[in-house]
Amino acid sequence: MLFNKRTERYFVWVFFPLALLMPLFLEQNTFYVSKLTTVMIFAIFVMSLDYLVGRCGLITLGHAMFYGLGGYIFVIIAPEYEAVNFWVYTFYICVIAALVALIIGFLVLRTSGIYMIMITLAFAQMAFYYFSDSIDFGGNDGVFIYVKPDTSIFGISLFDLDNPIHFYYLCLLSLFNTLFFFRLVIRSRFGRVIDSIHENPGRTTALGYNVFVFRLMAYTMASALGAYAGYLFTLQYGFVNPSMLAWTTSGSALVMSILGGMGSIYGAILGTLVYEGLHYVLEHLTEHWLLFMGALIILMVILFKNGIAGYLEKLLEKRS
Amino acid sequence: MTTSLFFVQLINGLQYGLLLFLIASGLTLVFGVMGILNLAHGSMYMVGAYLAWYFVQQTGSFTLSAIISAVIALAIGIVVERLLIQRLYRRNHLDQVLLTIGMIFVFNALQSILWGDDPLGVQVPEAMSAAIPLTDVVEYPVYRIFVALVCVAIAAVMYFMINRTRLGMLIRAGESNREMVECLGIDISRLYTIVFAIGVMLATVAGVIAAPMSSIVPGMGEHVLIACFVVVVIGGMGSIKGAFIGALLVGLVDTFASVLMPQLSSMMIYILMAFILLIKPQGLFSS
Amino acid sequence: MDTKKLLHTLLAGAVAGTLCSQALAANEDPIKVGVMLPFSGIYAALGDAGRNGLKMALKEHAQALHGRQIEFIEMDTEARPERAPEIASSLLDQHHANFIIGPVHSGVAMGMIKVLKDKDTVMIIPNAGAAAATGPLCAPNIFRTSFSSWQPSYPMGKVALDNAYKRVVTMSWNYGMGRESLDAFRESFTAGGGEIVKEILVPFPKTEFQSYLSEIGSINPDAVFVFFAGGGAVKFVKDYDALGLKGKIPLLGSGFLTEGTLEAQGPSAEGVRTTLHYADGLDNEVNNKFRQDYEQMFGKPADIYAVQGYDAGLLIANAVDQLGGDISDQAALIKAMEGAHLFSPRGEITFSRAHNPVQNIYLRQVENGQNKVIDVPAAALEDPARGCKL
Repeated sequence: MLFNKRTERYFVWVFFPLALLMPLFLEQNTFYVSKLTTVMIFAIFVMSLDYLVGRCGLITLGHAMFYGLGGYIFVIIAPEYEAVNFWVYTFYICVIAALVALIIGFLVLRTSGIYMIMITLAFAQMAFYYFSDSIDFGGNDGVFIYVKPDTSIFGISLFDLDNPIHFYYLCLLSLFNTLFFFRLVIRSRFGRVIDSIHENPGRTTALGYNVFVFRLMAYTMASALGAYAGYLFTLQYGFVNPSMLAWTTSGSALVMSILGGMGSIYGAILGTLVYEGLHYVLEHLTEHWLLFMGALIILMVILFKNGIAGYLEKLLEKRS
Repeated sequence: MTTSLFFVQLINGLQYGLLLFLIASGLTLVFGVMGILNLAHGSMYMVGAYLAWYFVQQTGSFTLSAIISAVIALAIGIVVERLLIQRLYRRNHLDQVLLTIGMIFVFNALQSILWGDDPLGVQVPEAMSAAIPLTDVVEYPVYRIFVALVCVAIAAVMYFMINRTRLGMLIRAGESNREMVECLGIDISRLYTIVFAIGVMLATVAGVIAAPMSSIVPGMGEHVLIACFVVVVIGGMGSIKGAFIGALLVGLVDTFASVLMPQLSSMMIYILMAFILLIKPQGLFSS
Repeated sequence: MDTKKLLHTLLAGAVAGTLCSQALAANEDPIKVGVMLPFSGIYAALGDAGRNGLKMALKEHAQALHGRQIEFIEMDTEARPERAPEIASSLLDQHHANFIIGPVHSGVAMGMIKVLKDKDTVMIIPNAGAAAATGPLCAPNIFRTSFSSWQPSYPMGKVALDNAYKRVVTMSWNYGMGRESLDAFRESFTAGGGEIVKEILVPFPKTEFQSYLSEIGSINPDAVFVFFAGGGAVKFVKDYDALGLKGKIPLLGSGFLTEGTLEAQGPSAEGVRTTLHYADGLDNEVNNKFRQDYEQMFGKPADIYAVQGYDAGLLIANAVDQLGGDISDQAALIKAMEGAHLFSPRGEITFSRAHNPVQNIYLRQVENGQNKVIDVPAAALEDPARGCKL
């Protein structure tokens, strides 16, 4: 059984069927479909961060760099007025992002803890200012994508990216695949080595594994996925802005991942849903939503020891 | 660059660096002693600036305003530590990150509710409104020299306190081995409360004395927070001496980069930090 | 704003959804005005002022609405460009807003335009000056009641030349609005024979100006022209004074340098000359009443951001009045708005073919904490709207 923890199994069985049917109920209101799409895209990003922080113990505050790069790589390499193939460009973007991650990872993975937080932040800030100051890519005001890629494989178009419902299903599929992918990774030999490194790097080295290389592989993989999420986000509205790379984006992703329950992967989806849901409800209720958001975050940290996923697990344990 | 301009820029860089030290010192102190990563530290700088403005309006005296603000800061520090931070000592760092991000939200919201969103300003105290001519055109305000001196004085006091007093001895002992300190019958939780409150007060005082030479606006805390972290990390987390050197380095690099390499000036302090961490992954003076 | 209001909004949305095909019924529905401004973060003061002005105008001109109520749907943009498309589509698809007012920040404007261009709603920009909005990206349903970045800065070149300033240093934050302002100044200033000795671009939102000012001091130009706004403007003007440049090198600016900031700048701002499409001291009937009412309602003096929001309200009221309250035909609505002739606190304004205001630009000088008009260097100035194909 792939989704082996009971809570996780429940979550997968409740969330994905619901998400599959959701657009049927929301036909009247395309906004909710788009909103859910945005949340799911961000959840992919948070999941990739959650793997790094929770599973590998590599705390980064620069992950948004790859989220933004996902958009900017597309802007840089794709022709402006010509539809390109979605899958081919997904491949290009992931590979380029992975190469960038390989170089940066090579430098930053020498540090650990707070120092790693700060050095990843440093690289992300450099990228942020590069795109924000440069005039070539729209600078601070951002840049538009005029033509969306088409998604045909062998001449069969699966999704029409201009149709919000189609795009919703593409993102739902991506979300499920990402979760599935991380499950496979975690259960693989690679994943076990990563877990062992997280537990005790010294002993893993003694067992003959090169800790640095394993960490670098994990970092590269998660960064490429982060870029994929950023690519999807850019395609949703066709708008890229340097604020995607801002440290606040990394910060909110980190908050969602901790809130969901670090290292549980599916918790990242929970964390993103809860955070975005609260944000949405509070900002419609009161202008001072920030106050209540802050207070709720504080309350949740104190009440939930291992995030929402941890809380649910404990709840189920008590029941049985 | 002419020699006179070089010296003017040197003074600018040192003065900016000293102010950065004052803000960053509390952050590194709290991390060093308690292992707490307080992201809301920048918010306390903001609170300091707003308090300074508010009490100058109320009392008309900058000195009085500074004293009242420092006392309020101590109170905030004690309450926050006892009410919130204390619950998280046994949790991991990331829970503390989340908690302090929640606090940033709350402080920002309170600022907007209590004091509004318009930019505010505090005038330089009458007694220090003079300026010293440096070149034909450029003068240097006395108040900014005073601020630099205050920062140096606070650095000296902190150095003395940590190396020469009983509290400092406990702080140093707590840094290296907290269990041992507890075994010796010392109430470590009270020590933590005191240290946290001092950290908060340092940030607040920095906000107060910076108020007359800055604009008091929403979001000023987050901007300064990043600069502070750069300073503290360059110096080595937890090291007061490191924070002092790191702050001067950041101040000087930032000042000279903005004149000599304007295209790169936005990235320069990050390049500096990345460079230092690649050579010394624990910062310059980590313990 | 409370739960009741949310329920009301949701209910109204549901009701509107079922009825909107019937034009007759639609005329009894409230006019929905979506407000997309920053109410938190560094631009919050600008967002507040814009909203205040907007509400005040629609309240004052309630009789022009032919009995139709106004329903506001307010959204906090937090000045985060990456969220702009989402919020804009919420107002468009979820709330079916007739008008969407926003934003302050140019990056947010770009995100909004991406979603709203050529859609079934009318976007009115009450601040963001990005040239593109009424340039290459102009659209029938996008209007602006504020300015294009070119407008306030272009006339200052001529003013500088008239004052016999030949060598000028320009300075702003390194972002779209700042660069466009400096370019506009350069355009008129160098055409008249002036020389830009140095252009300084400061990373946004950095406010450590000391090193730049020391450098300006060593260059010792005839004058300095800057674009800064909000908190940065406060800090800049105070630093300029503190480092002794004030009184030796005249400070010129795009008018945002002294808008909504004068109280915080204090005596440091005295004597600063700026060009803008408004001034506190404009002596006309509309402005006098506007300033008095605004101060009474909101407890603080009005600034340019309030005026621009107020004019967005005036534009809506004017168009609804022209159409007798029936705004169901978008083409007719846009035509009415294009022909609008507004009596704004800043003087009379009309709209250019690119939907940007045609307006006077005033030369102002700060005297006793007020922007006093000393000249009108450009009357009824129209933005060149480069790249607009309307």
